[in-house]
Amino acid sequence: MSAPAAVSGAPPTLKEFFDGVRAGRLVVQRCRGCGEPAVPPRALCSACHGREWERAAIRGEGEVASFTVIRVPPGRLVAEAPYAIVVVRFPEGVSLLGRTTGIPLEALRVGLPVRFAGPADPAAELPVVTFAPRV
Amino acid sequence: MRNVAVIGVGVTKFGRHERTCAELFAEAAIDALTDAEIGPERIQGLYVGNVVGEAGEKQLHMGPQLASALGIPAVPATRFETACASSHAAFRHALFEIASGAADVLLVGGTERVLTMPTERSTEVFAYASDAVFEQPAGLTFPGVFALIACAHMAKYGTTEEQMAHVAVKNHRHGTLNPKAQFQKTITLEQVLASAKVADPLKLYDCCPFSDGAAAVLIASEEVARRTRKPVWVLGSAQAGDAMCLHDKRDLSRALATERAAQTAYRQAGLGPRDVDVVELHDCFTIAEIVATEGLGLVEPGGGGLAAEKGETSLGGRIPVNTSGGLKAKGHPIGATGAAQIAEIATQLRGEAGPRQVEGAKVGLTHTLGGNTATVLVSVFGGERR
Repeated sequence: MSAPAAVSGAPPTLKEFFDGVRAGRLVVQRCRGCGEPAVPPRALCSACHGREWERAAIRGEGEVASFTVIRVPPGRLVAEAPYAIVVVRFPEGVSLLGRTTGIPLEALRVGLPVRFAGPADPAAELPVVTFAPRV
Repeated sequence: MRNVAVIGVGVTKFGRHERTCAELFAEAAIDALTDAEIGPERIQGLYVGNVVGEAGEKQLHMGPQLASALGIPAVPATRFETACASSHAAFRHALFEIASGAADVLLVGGTERVLTMPTERSTEVFAYASDAVFEQPAGLTFPGVFALIACAHMAKYGTTEEQMAHVAVKNHRHGTLNPKAQFQKTITLEQVLASAKVADPLKLYDCCPFSDGAAAVLIASEEVARRTRKPVWVLGSAQAGDAMCLHDKRDLSRALATERAAQTAYRQAGLGPRDVDVVELHDCFTIAEIVATEGLGLVEPGGGGLAAEKGETSLGGRIPVNTSGGLKAKGHPIGATGAAQIAEIATQLRGEAGPRQVEGAKVGLTHTLGGNTATVLVSVFGGERR
């Protein structure tokens, strides 16, 4: 684990999480009481209601748990459609929703091994995570 | 807690309207008063669901606007927002005011106007009901939410696109029996399967339409209700939640909030899924009906697709679902949907549903889902008191 040392039991902020995404790292939070992981923001552990957290870097290698191809997008994304959205499950016990890069739409399937491939747009206030094929 | 009954219902035609939310709601409310055979001076409060008032009509603070347009400006009037479950949430809160003894007659309902916006804009505005941090920036739409649920359900249970299409065909057939329904035409399995893809595997005919419309329900204490012509009793009403983000949900193929709300509502009613004769549930997309029939215990887990294919949920089937045409064919003016479902079940339990009547229906259930399945309300109704 290459997680930055937690300064206290406070949970990470969303800004901290997305700064990590911009730097190519996925750092989530893990309950010090029961070990339950969570994607920020989370104040209380949903499993044990503990409020002492530590940072936990995840490797970013997981599998597609579900996917879709958006063909009728919101107005602001018309130029990008069609695009895929995937929910990726990681062995560390959390999942993340994001977009894909380098995966042909017809190659998408449940169980496809993928890896975190950085933010879609590092300049975005809330950068979207992307996933690439794992070889 | 005191017994509460539905004593009158009113629903506008769903579809495209030139009138405002307040005008539509007044029509539904007058119909409910006429149906209940009571005067407007009896109404002690207004509980109303509305979701996109700001975007559709630039209107916040819609409660008093609706009360004023109806002509009862002095009553306390409050707007509720739980995405597509808004008017069912309004109903449940109104229920408590009467059950506690604080009021005897309340007007509950919902109203929505969406077709003032082009589809690209309404797709964007509806997506505001998904998570603004992870889901909206990624470009997830509401069809996309249910497409992800469909994909997980297909992978886990082998549910097919054909089975989902059966839900659309059935609800369109039911809709032709409901003069208030937005769509008045039957469709074929082939038409559904050949319709344009929206969010794979969902196609246009897997999706409910954008709709304008309003619905109103008058509810009353037992003392008032027993003097009305045909009260329908509220036997149970529960709301449950689930994680907001899809990526935080434990199992995308299930609607845990539906399961939780159903358990509580059945327990309150002292009944189980086998006691239910007719159901109005939240079929915003065909897969949503399949998952809901499982979550409500009407079919076994994973059996929703096959039940739809075999006609078990059709009028005349084992457990008729969405006799009104459902959101799919009746339409889905989102803030009005929960109240419109209650109106349909009350009509069924009074035996007044005409060509779509479920013969001998004694117990009915409504299920309304909000947003990313993060809010669900389930209520159980009976022709007889507890």
